[in-house]
Amino acid sequence: MFGQDEARPRKARRWTRIAAAVQGPPTVFLILRRMRAPLIVLIAIFAISVLGLTLIPGRDDAGQPARMGFFDAFYFMSYTATTIGYGEIPHEFTGAQRLWVIASIYLTVIGWAYAIGSLLTLLQDRAFRQALALRRFTRTVARIREPFLLIAGYGQTGRLLGRSLDILGRRIVVVDTSAERVDALDIDAYRADVPGLAGDARNPRTLDHAGLGHPYCEGVLALTDDDEVNLAVTMTAALIRPDLPVIARTVSPAIEYRMAAFGSPTVVNAFDRYGDHLRIALRAPASYQLMVWLESGPGARLPRRGRPPRAGRWVLCGYGRFGRELTADLRAEGLSVTVIDIVAGPEPEPWVVVGDGSEPGVMARADLVNAVGFVAGTDNDTTNLSLVAAARRINPELFVASRQNRPETAPLFAAMEIDSLLVPAEVVAHEIYAQLSTPLLWRFLREMPDLGDRWAADMIERLHLHCGNRLQALWRTTLDAEDAPALTRWLRDGPATMRDLLRHPDDRDQRLDIVPLLILRDGQATLGPDDDVALRPGDQILFAGQPWDKRALLETLTINSVSQYVLHGRRVPSSWVWQRLTHSPR
Amino acid sequence: MSLEKVIFGFFVLLAATLNFGFFIGDIDDPTLHNEYELFAAVVVNLIATVLKFGDRTQIGAVHLATSLVADLQLIAATLAWTWATQISSNGLDGEAMASVVSLSGGALLANIVSVVLLVVETVSFQRR
Repeated sequence: MFGQDEARPRKARRWTRIAAAVQGPPTVFLILRRMRAPLIVLIAIFAISVLGLTLIPGRDDAGQPARMGFFDAFYFMSYTATTIGYGEIPHEFTGAQRLWVIASIYLTVIGWAYAIGSLLTLLQDRAFRQALALRRFTRTVARIREPFLLIAGYGQTGRLLGRSLDILGRRIVVVDTSAERVDALDIDAYRADVPGLAGDARNPRTLDHAGLGHPYCEGVLALTDDDEVNLAVTMTAALIRPDLPVIARTVSPAIEYRMAAFGSPTVVNAFDRYGDHLRIALRAPASYQLMVWLESGPGARLPRRGRPPRAGRWVLCGYGRFGRELTADLRAEGLSVTVIDIVAGPEPEPWVVVGDGSEPGVMARADLVNAVGFVAGTDNDTTNLSLVAAARRINPELFVASRQNRPETAPLFAAMEIDSLLVPAEVVAHEIYAQLSTPLLWRFLREMPDLGDRWAADMIERLHLHCGNRLQALWRTTLDAEDAPALTRWLRDGPATMRDLLRHPDDRDQRLDIVPLLILRDGQATLGPDDDVALRPGDQILFAGQPWDKRALLETLTINSVSQYVLHGRRVPSSWVWQRLTHSPR
Repeated sequence: MSLEKVIFGFFVLLAATLNFGFFIGDIDDPTLHNEYELFAAVVVNLIATVLKFGDRTQIGAVHLATSLVADLQLIAATLAWTWATQISSNGLDGEAMASVVSLSGGALLANIVSVVLLVVETVSFQRR
């Protein structure tokens, strides 16, 4: 997967432009184009007024006939038309001249009003503002000089993921159909500037504006709630930038299959993943708990450990795509399932109860009293809540799982104390976060369930002991000359143990509150290594811990005098001169 | 036939003809160069410039550029004329008139290019 270790794009790489992409005209030409008529009217009015003033006979101070010159006429009209008014020059006007001036004053007022009115209308114009916004957006994107991810769809999933990625210091660019969501980008608390464009992601040009062809674009995430749009984004990315990794979200296996036809996108199916998660939860509650904790992103609280019943009969309401996936997963775990479906299938099956789940009679037929688990899996939150309430009234001992579709209803579901809640947006966001944050975390999560529930429970104990209730960002360190220059000699001469590495730079008898989650050596991953594990040059280690401990470890890794104290207990001078004089080992 | 094209062609051509009318005659003889004609040339040139705003084609861009050059030259000519009549102690003598007319001659060149462009555009336009 692509992470920070991926080769950085070289500067020499060029933009990949869509051939048909045409940049809009510069803003100034847009204004000029719309201002043609008012400007011509203004010029004409000025010309007529000035010409009239020069033609109408006047009289000088001595009473001799005199005509106004062009210069005086233009001067007079300029200050009169702009309502400044310095009086009549060079001589007092005659009646004829005054008559003409009255007419020209009203004409120029109309001219100015028309011109300024047109300009203001233009600035208020929606099309004009969109053109301005697009221009600003493309410029901002083009100026990005660090790797960024292109996110299509800034709904609940996009927001959750964007926030987690932002905390990790990754740049993102957002495209969404809704202008409101894009406006919300400015209000959301992001550390980095997040450029957003309101536009249809199905249009390749929109993606092109958002930097699909940008040399620093490192990946495309299709996260809209419309499978069709996600498919289009996957297709566009695969055809225009085949080298870019793509992660797409879908709920339909058919779309998943069609996406796979274009390159090799990573497809995340929320229902499928929830089923897998529930299976892990059934088999190993602690493994599931650890997985959710690590996936939830920086600052996640330790989730509760659920205890789903491992034997018995489950009742499931809402037999759509989600219901089907979950039924198959529960059956695979050896549980029997009774489904309440609103419409009868083509061939009636004994385990399907046809009817509306909210009716008491239907619930009775499903025999909830003797069931152990209940799933409210319709796509309507109100229905789900009332189903859960009804089921609990019949059998308070039930293990209840429910699907939450809209973010607004979260407090209601929290008040109901659902045992296992599926929020599709969160499942997708967590999954993608785990894949994107660092490749080692993804490796850890894939291999962790095989180690068993007891191991996971111990791991949670260790993490809880060292990191507290909230898990901060995970980070990866490679023990090589670049990441750990101060350790080269220690690693080469051995024996190097994790225990020595994690001593505190202030007092080496103390241990840093850091938990190593995984060591990757020659493609072999060791999960949850203990403190006695031997380290070798080139090891990649995934750590969890507080930011201040991370900084302390960084000192050990990079500063020679610190590492000498931490590893060997030797106090060595930190300046080069004293090191030479005392012949300290380097 | 589109009215827009008629108006556009009319103003471009009128700008050139007025400019030519002012320019023709002995360069240093004020009696041969009418100030009203210069005024009309400036106004018509300005209108022609505004008419060319916002055309995104290559030829449209060159049109606008020639017009801007003509405006610049003509406004310089009017400034020279203003200087001679209002500020300079010598008044509108042969020397001052020569500079006014030569500036308008530059504008005439730009206007001729404009007309040539108009003709080129018309000839290359084929109705299929």
